[in-house]
Amino acid sequence: MTADLLTPSASADPYALFATLRAEDPVHWSDAHRAWLLTRYDDVSAAFQNKAFSNDRVRPVLARRQASGEPTAADRVLGLLSGWMVVNDPPVHTRLRKLAAGAFKGQRIAAMGEQISAIVDEHLDAFLAGSGPQDLVSEVAYPLPATVIATMLGAPAGDRDRFRDWSDELALVAFGTGGAARAERHERALRGLQEMDAYFRELVARRRAEPGEDMLSALMAREDEDRLTDDELVAMCALLLFAGHETTTNSIANATLALLRHPEQLARLRADPELLAPAVEELLRFDGPIKVLNRWVVADTVLGGRTIRAGQRVHLVLASANRDPAKFADPDVLDLARSPNPHIAFGKGIHACIGAQLARMETRVAVGRIVERLPGLSLEQEPVWKDALASRSMETLVVRHS
Amino acid sequence: MRITVDSTVCEAHGQCGVVDMDLFPLDDDGYSAVGPDAEVPAGEEDTALLGIAACPVRALRVL
Repeated sequence: MTADLLTPSASADPYALFATLRAEDPVHWSDAHRAWLLTRYDDVSAAFQNKAFSNDRVRPVLARRQASGEPTAADRVLGLLSGWMVVNDPPVHTRLRKLAAGAFKGQRIAAMGEQISAIVDEHLDAFLAGSGPQDLVSEVAYPLPATVIATMLGAPAGDRDRFRDWSDELALVAFGTGGAARAERHERALRGLQEMDAYFRELVARRRAEPGEDMLSALMAREDEDRLTDDELVAMCALLLFAGHETTTNSIANATLALLRHPEQLARLRADPELLAPAVEELLRFDGPIKVLNRWVVADTVLGGRTIRAGQRVHLVLASANRDPAKFADPDVLDLARSPNPHIAFGKGIHACIGAQLARMETRVAVGRIVERLPGLSLEQEPVWKDALASRSMETLVVRHS
Repeated sequence: MRITVDSTVCEAHGQCGVVDMDLFPLDDDGYSAVGPDAEVPAGEEDTALLGIAACPVRALRVL
C-alpha cells in the first residue's frame, strides 16, 4: 500500500484512509508524497519534541536555488520566508518567539473581542442581505480573517483586498511546486510578493515613526535589550497573514459544515451558548484546518521499527492524530461538550501556534454569530474540497439561509 | 494568587505559553516550567486564569 492524500476521494474525506494507516502502517512511507506519514496521536506528539525532526526547511531549498544559478529577485522573498520562526529551530526560533509573544498575549487578544465581533457582523450583514444559494467560504470565511489581520496590523481598510491576494501567493510559495505549470505560477507568486514586501516595509516605517495600539506596534517592543529588526518585522507581518488567513477560513468553514451535518449538535449549541468554547475545541479536533505539518529529518531515527533517514521528510498528520481511538473515546463522534479535549489542531510544544488564542477568538465569534444570526441555515449542495496536502480546505460551501 | 502545574498531567501542548510566556514558561521540550508553586504578579490574575483555562488536559490550577 502507498497512501495518497491527494486523490479526490481522500480530499473529500481523508478519515477512512487515516484509520487504515493508524491501524495497519502507522509509520508509513508514501511514494506518492515521497515522505513518511505519521498518523497516530502518540507518534505525532513525540515527533514535535524529537530534535531529529527539524523545522528548518526553507533554508535548504533556498541554498539549492542559489547554488543552481544567478539569484533572482524572487530569492529575496524566499530569503524573507526563511526567517520565519515557524521554519527555524532553537535558538533562532526561541529569540523570535520571545519577541513576538508580547503581541499575542491573552489579554491583548481578549481586548480585541469587540473589534472582531464588529468585523464578523459586517460580513454576516452582507451575507444576510443576499438570498438563495450562497457560498459561505467566499462571502464570509475567506474575507473575514484577512480583514482581521489587516485591521490588527493597522492597515487602512481600503487595502484589505491586497492582503487576500498576498495570502494566496504566500500559500502558493510555501506549499511548493510540482510540474512545470506550477513552477511558473510559483515564480509569478514570488514576484507578486515583492509588492507585499514593499507594502509591509512602508507600514513598519510608519509605525516606527508613530506607534499605535495595533499589533505591529506591539511587535516593536523591546525584550531584554533585544528587538525585532525591520526585516524581521516585515517577515512577521507576512507570517501573520500566511499562518492566520487560510487556517482561520478553514476553521470557520469546516466548523459550520460539521454543525450542518450534525443537526442535533447544532441544536444543542443553539440551546446552550455557554457550550461555545468547548464546542470550538471539538470542531477543531473533528475537522480542523490543517491536515499535515512537515518536518525535515536531520538525523537517522528509528520509529515503530522503521528507519527514517536524515534528509527525508516527515508529514505529521494532525487530522489523523485527532481521530486516534487510542487517545479519544469514539473519535468519529462529534461531541461539542467533549472534555478534556487534548486535540493538536494547533500543534504542540515550543512551536504550538502562537496565534491560537486569536484563532480561537475569531472562530468562537464567527461560529457563535452564525449559529445565532442564521437559524435557518442549510446545506445547499455537497462542498467542493481543494486537493491540498497541508490544509483541510473547501473551495466552496454553498448554503442557504431562510 | 499562586498557581501550580501537575507535571504528571502536562503533555506539552504549549497552550498556556501561547496565552503568556512570562507567566507560563515552557522548558526546551514544551512542558510547563511553572513549577509546584508560582506567585502571579499583582494585576496579572486574569491572564493567569486565561492560561489555566487554555490547558487542554487541566494540568494547571490555582493553589
